[in-house]
Amino acid sequence: MAAESRRSQMLRGVLDLCLLAVVVDEPAYGYEMTRRLRERGLSTVGEGSIYPLLGRLEREGLVATHREVSDGGPPRKYYSASPSGRRALAEGVRAWRDVRGEVDSVLATIEAEVAG
Amino acid sequence: MSAFVDECRQEWKRLGVPDLLAEEMATELEADLAEAAADGVSAAELLGESDPRRFAASWAGERGLVRDPAPPKRRRRVWPWVVVALFLVLFAAWLALQAAGHSSASRGRPVEGMQPRRVRVPNVIGMKACKAVRRVARSGVDDWRVAEHVHGYTCDLIVVGQTPVGRAIRRPGHPVMVTLRLGRN
Repeated sequence: MAAESRRSQMLRGVLDLCLLAVVVDEPAYGYEMTRRLRERGLSTVGEGSIYPLLGRLEREGLVATHREVSDGGPPRKYYSASPSGRRALAEGVRAWRDVRGEVDSVLATIEAEVAG
Repeated sequence: MSAFVDECRQEWKRLGVPDLLAEEMATELEADLAEAAADGVSAAELLGESDPRRFAASWAGERGLVRDPAPPKRRRRVWPWVVVALFLVLFAAWLALQAAGHSSASRGRPVEGMQPRRVRVPNVIGMKACKAVRRVARSGVDDWRVAEHVHGYTCDLIVVGQTPVGRAIRRPGHPVMVTLRLGRN
């Protein structure tokens, strides 16, 4: 339970980058983004949902949206990274790598296996 | 699925989300939930949230579609005012008591430290002894002394003489010497 909560907290800080990353090359609608995240190894996004986060990215102008008619279904809302979203993604990835490197340096000597 | 979306709609309506945008979100959500269900993914798994109202509020809030709630009224602290009011009431009561005491003293025994500098000696000739005693006490020259009397000092005795005379001005506490007689001469 505690491990899940920690995972959620850590993801919360970078999930927006992950969402931008899956629409930077090709637009996607909400569920399709979830599917792409899963395909890249992020099966669950923890507590909360991608929709509020997409709402914030939209409000901040980091994603552009358009509607597209789907086969036989209602028109879908597609998201794609806007130019400012691409810049934010590049800066975010750099920051993430810095932090990840620093944290890894600190934690490198810790034995990861826990005796059960 | 539609029950979840319906509850979201109600929440957006309650939050004042414009109908057009609420319907856009509802349509998007409904289509995604249907597709997820076809893949065997539950709504809770997709949304990470099983409470539709909380989910709807979170989404609309992040999109900036919720009207800013009016700032809560600052609850005024009442107790300082109660303390101040109580203090004022007590102070007013104290002032009233002081005034009453001073008034009483001015009519009777002067309060130590608040004595008037001069008092007028009352004329008590012809009065019964007890009434005369009270009158003298109220005047401030309250050192009542009986110079002469018959049959002892009782209320029935009549003041037939006094020194200083009535209306004379003396210091507070100045003795008033009276002569008493049984009945009028």
